[in-house]
Amino acid sequence: MPLFDYSLLLTGKYHDMLVAGLLLSLQLLAASLVLALPIALVVALLRLSPLAPLRWLGFAYVEAIRNIPLLAHMLFWYFGAPELLPEGIKQWLYAGHIEAYSAIIALALYTAAFMAEDIRSGIRAIPTVQFEAGRALGFGFLGTMRRVILPQALRVTVPPLISQTLSLWKNTSIATVIGVAELMYQAGQVESATFRSFESFAFASAAYLTVSLAITGLATWYHHRFPVRTI
Amino acid sequence: MRLNLIAAALAASALLTGIAAHADQLADIKKKGELVVGVLGTDEPATFIDPKTRQIVGYEVDLVNAIAKKIGVKPVLKQIAVAARIPELQQGHVDLVAAGLTHNKEREAQIDFSLTTFVTGQKAIVKKDSGITDVPQLAGKKVLTIRGGTQEPNIRKAVPTAEVVTFDTSQQAFQALQQGKGVGYVDDEAALLRSYAKLGPQKAKYVVLKQNLSTEALAIGIKKGESGLKAVVDDTLRELEKSGEAQKIFVKWYGPNTASGFQTRDFKLDSDKID
Repeated sequence: MPLFDYSLLLTGKYHDMLVAGLLLSLQLLAASLVLALPIALVVALLRLSPLAPLRWLGFAYVEAIRNIPLLAHMLFWYFGAPELLPEGIKQWLYAGHIEAYSAIIALALYTAAFMAEDIRSGIRAIPTVQFEAGRALGFGFLGTMRRVILPQALRVTVPPLISQTLSLWKNTSIATVIGVAELMYQAGQVESATFRSFESFAFASAAYLTVSLAITGLATWYHHRFPVRTI
Repeated sequence: MRLNLIAAALAASALLTGIAAHADQLADIKKKGELVVGVLGTDEPATFIDPKTRQIVGYEVDLVNAIAKKIGVKPVLKQIAVAARIPELQQGHVDLVAAGLTHNKEREAQIDFSLTTFVTGQKAIVKKDSGITDVPQLAGKKVLTIRGGTQEPNIRKAVPTAEVVTFDTSQQAFQALQQGKGVGYVDDEAALLRSYAKLGPQKAKYVVLKQNLSTEALAIGIKKGESGLKAVVDDTLRELEKSGEAQKIFVKWYGPNTASGFQTRDFKLDSDKID
């Protein structure tokens, strides 16, 4: 086996491909995260709602998404769902970056299901007397949530949410199957062009590891800076 | 720094296994009495499983059998995945790779190649209503193909501004074309014509562009530096060419009476040089 060749990673066309892949992976992470957080919050509130049909809706969302592999979600949002759209919108979508859009939707919906459960646990960690106190003061359900419960609950929730972000970061690699030119995709392309598997996947692994460690570091930092207040 | 250590460890282990395994491979093959060849087995008509006999047959199999006969050993075919072709060869799990392997300059640093065994063009298929009639018109358009092969770099070479999207299998890429997620689909001519044939009555809506995007030289892969083995492989191929056997094998698998329907054979088994 030939020696490890750095030059491939540091300069030239293959270096550019790998870096472009890394940037796209980071964009996928950012876009999916921004979409996933509000969805997760809504789903968590649905699951805690006083109205049974809304609770059922939240439950159905979480279970339906969590129990199907991300790979299947990806393929569905790329090959399946857009086909159901009206012809005009479909043509317009297909002319653009349909691959990346589909990947972001799949990643966001998938991650939101897990995040919703974390947020729900965080909310349930706040003693119910506080909720009752809020209601006794005349706030409605949403008012109590917004003014009393969520400010405390989100503090408890941030570390597990950061941990879900870590999973989301690694999950961006699955977008490869629908032709999104993210990091794993580019590593595969460089490998097939040069047969330098070690070098290209070493770059990808190092990049995933670095970003993952940064996310983990963020969680640790947050935990120290904003410790959970004793309730 | 850490990367340096990993690299050093990798290099050291590579060196050690290199020393341990170093012997003339041709002698080893003769000693064990069999020539182990990595094939795809899913790549009709190069190597595929005959539905009746359940045996792997095909164009590349016939060439490999001739090589084994020349060495005087039994050919043993081992099915491998596209991405495993080179690692299997480098680690010595197979003696040769006859698996639709494209010979290119980048790959020459990793393994050796036999004489070119097949020359194929890569072509594009488009929907008729796209109005595209030749390859340069794909500029700036989305083009779909399979990942892991030479299709993508070749599209970029032929049409630098095309936006290439690749998939794990050619079926997925072709599906994306049918759904309109790109204007063109590119593949090796033989594979492309097969996908096209499967369209049935839908065929009328599609056009295969005449012009080739590239010319691909396929060859048998040999572990780097095994000159004895390479000599025997190349000699066998030259003899097949001289005796007219190579032509017969080509017609048997790719000729006018097959699904591939090639009228002529535009290459000879006489060179291991590529452009």
